Amino acid sequence: MFFKDKVLNEEDLKLKIGFFHLSSCSGCQVAFLDMFEKIVEFLDTVELVYSNMLTRKREIPFLDVAFVEGALCVEENYHLRLIKEINEKSKLIVSVGACASFGGVRRLSCGNQMPQPQHNSFIPLTEIELIKNKLKYAIPGCPPNPSLLENFLLALLELDYDFLQPFEFIASSNDASGFNLISEVVNKGFCVGCGTCETACPTRAISFSQSCGKPNFTPSTCVHCGSCLAACPQSFKPYPQPTY
Amino acid sequence: MLRLDESFLLGKYKKAFKTVSKEGTPIETLFNLMFRENLIDGLLTYSKEKGKVVPKLILREGEFLQPQVPFGFGLNSLLKKAIQKYRLSKLAVFGTSCVLDGLNKTQYYGIGCNWVKTAVALKVGQLCLGNITEEGIRALLLHLKGRGEKLKRAFIEERELIFQTDKGKLKIPMEVLHKYILSACRYCLNLSSRGSDITYVQKERENEGLFIIRSERGWYTVAKLQKRAPGELKLKGAGQEEVDSLVSLLREKILLNIDSIIDRVEIGLPVPKWSGNKLRKFYRLWNSIETSDFEEEVF
Repeated sequence: MFFKDKVLNEEDLKLKIGFFHLSSCSGCQVAFLDMFEKIVEFLDTVELVYSNMLTRKREIPFLDVAFVEGALCVEENYHLRLIKEINEKSKLIVSVGACASFGGVRRLSCGNQMPQPQHNSFIPLTEIELIKNKLKYAIPGCPPNPSLLENFLLALLELDYDFLQPFEFIASSNDASGFNLISEVVNKGFCVGCGTCETACPTRAISFSQSCGKPNFTPSTCVHCGSCLAACPQSFKPYPQPTY
Repeated sequence: MLRLDESFLLGKYKKAFKTVSKEGTPIETLFNLMFRENLIDGLLTYSKEKGKVVPKLILREGEFLQPQVPFGFGLNSLLKKAIQKYRLSKLAVFGTSCVLDGLNKTQYYGIGCNWVKTAVALKVGQLCLGNITEEGIRALLLHLKGRGEKLKRAFIEERELIFQTDKGKLKIPMEVLHKYILSACRYCLNLSSRGSDITYVQKERENEGLFIIRSERGWYTVAKLQKRAPGELKLKGAGQEEVDSLVSLLREKILLNIDSIIDRVEIGLPVPKWSGNKLRKFYRLWNSIETSDFEEEVF
């Protein structure tokens, strides 16, 4: 990984990270801040070089890891320029949250809303060809849990591939919702009826049927965050299994 | 080729104990004592309500009545309630291996909270030969007896799974059970709840059971309770014969499961896109001449 080369070759060992905002509610960046004092522990090894909320910089510097939240709006020229610039200036891109990873609630957008009524087409980063080589990890959740973001950053710094590997699976998938949980797990005969999907769902789109031992899915309340599919023990298992 | 021996079927464990409780079942006594000693502040398990097995969050000593039927669904759906609403920090979980898998995964993707480390005090696994729905049990009993009976208890005795119905006892052949369990349970290779602190096996007499102690935490908990209330939960080392009979039952079931896996891979039925290699990986291991570290690889 690039971080290894950085340690060997560069004088400045601090990992330069940046947060970028496309079309989203900024909740993912707030989730990063929700790590509170734990952020301070990272500051010895990590330097925040760009963030639309946390730094005053207007120009994007060269950086190691770009954390991008939000879906790309096809009608917004600024987004098109920004994604090109992120691709040029960063070594690794991580999509954070449901909108950037799977489209999220933006999938339900129909446009015709002030102040930008023309904005109606949104696509997640995982579907953009330009950044496919650099987009290695996708973090699910709406918003992702702060402790998940902390563990992810820690794993990135420690090169813990066992932890990071499933985020690679998620990055290679451009859709994840309750529909996928049904088609990928339940329909294929892999649902064990444990109920983890119901706990993972932030909008209560999934409830549990005790009689048939399967999840019930309510499409109208699903925000396409992918949490259910990612939390399901049958969608994939982290190897080696964590033991405590 | 994988050997279906004790280490594969039961996994690593410290010691197996035959357990006799003074009142109630051994697992009820264990949790009641843990509540009394403040070792746990909540218990996530199945309970019987209005004749149905439902997941339940137990918050006080004496509330837990073990459903004698070891089949149930949706236990992890109460996790958020237990940990975020009730702020429980010493939660015990009593469920099957798939429930514990889900629990282990909460620290990762989607949920992202390491509840296993921060909120769970004890994981007690249940020996599970496959989960089955209510109608599934009815169909199974109809298949075997030709008439509808009501299942009262299920237990393991002398290499057999036995159902106690309102009309008497009934030995359940594994091939018939295999037909009626959930399809996902047909591909399961962790029947004995590896990864738990203690695995519990229900025996014929209501106040008897088998505790397979796996972790340091399980060992410490049982030792502490023995010290405080030696008369309430009596533990006696289980003989090799007891373990062998359990292994023999598990072997019979797991052979059927392996058959199902091989069938599925050979036909090429689809698997989730994120773990496309899951069953094929096992298929390769099963067919390879030498294997090492299969536990890490497959489970």
